[in-house]
Amino acid sequence: MKTALVTGGAGGIGRGVCARLARDADVVVVADLDPYAAAAEIGPKARPMVLDVSSAASRTAVAAACVEEFGGVDILVNCAGVLKDARVGTLDPALFRRLLAINLLGPLALTRLLLGPMTRRGGGAVVNIASRAWLGTFGSTAYSTAKGGLVGATRSLALEVARQGITVNCVAPGFVATRMTDGLPDRIRERTLDAIPVGRAGRPDDVADAVAYLAAASYVTGQVLVVCGGRSIGDPYRQPA
Amino acid sequence: MTTQVTAGVHVWGGDSALVHPLSTVESAVPAACLVPDLPGDRDLEALSDELLDAEIGDVLGNVLAEVQRLLPGLTGSGRLVFLLPAEAALGRPHATSAGAVAGGILSMARTLAIELARDGIAVNTVLYADAAETAVAHQVAALLAAEGAAVTGQEIYVTAGSGLGRLRP
Repeated sequence: MKTALVTGGAGGIGRGVCARLARDADVVVVADLDPYAAAAEIGPKARPMVLDVSSAASRTAVAAACVEEFGGVDILVNCAGVLKDARVGTLDPALFRRLLAINLLGPLALTRLLLGPMTRRGGGAVVNIASRAWLGTFGSTAYSTAKGGLVGATRSLALEVARQGITVNCVAPGFVATRMTDGLPDRIRERTLDAIPVGRAGRPDDVADAVAYLAAASYVTGQVLVVCGGRSIGDPYRQPA
Repeated sequence: MTTQVTAGVHVWGGDSALVHPLSTVESAVPAACLVPDLPGDRDLEALSDELLDAEIGDVLGNVLAEVQRLLPGLTGSGRLVFLLPAEAALGRPHATSAGAVAGGILSMARTLAIELARDGIAVNTVLYADAAETAVAHQVAALLAAEGAAVTGQEIYVTAGSGLGRLRP
């Protein structure tokens, strides 16, 4: 039984990833703080599980349930994340640690719990959702540090588990229209869209397609696939014409 | 004629092989070198929640605290240089914690370079290999020279060519 687990599965990108993986998998575990509505929307292959990725007890319970019900997972997508901007001079150290816990330490801890069962199933794929912010963005010291940490961890872990048939990769989305980006001021939104070469915001499906590719690509590991409409090769700080 | 006032460089962290040559570098502007202590090798499956927190969270938190402590003294015309082992940044089996810290610092430096440019602070990262300590000190001296102000947000590998052919993070 091919099983995928998506953390943050009820969020904008996560929901799209779950729906995409449900095409090929037998079960998609929609893991989130409140996964039920998203799981119902995705359909009968979706199995909701409550997960707070920053809680050790919650991670342990979800991993144990996956092992008990499915013998583990074939695909783990670490998609849960929180974005909160602050300039470094005024960045609250507690916020910094909170973003590290959710965006970096929680994903690594959950991956640790599921690596053994994945190995016993003969291999699998870990896809970490990083961010274009890993390349650096104004005001994002905490978020970019966490996502850069995820990229760094991905490279080393990919080398560590390659012989076990497990690939570890990152998808780094740029601006994707979701609830997380809905709150941006209009001025910032306009400037952001203007800096995207393809001329539109990303959609969750754009990211989901990249995740599905990496989940099935057994000869690709330790890589970062940037899904940003070309913004990472353009100038994100150029002034509008 | 102008007189250039030089001063020693604040060095945070690092072992003596690196700190000693760095301590001989002089700078025309307020400058600091941050050398985070990276965790040792361990399989991911051996990393408990407590170890992940200590080896990654605490190290990155300490770097942030030091950056915030230094910022007032660097504003106007300062330089911040992070130093990382290239091998940890490029990736090494059984070194997920070290890779996470190195990756986190690389991205922190990129963001700080963008953010602090308006405050006159240049931020760069030097990635080094063992036995390259003297060359590292010369590279840092170049970044701290008056002409180095235009160099920011860069990652410079001082590794005698080791790691060539590997995709950089």
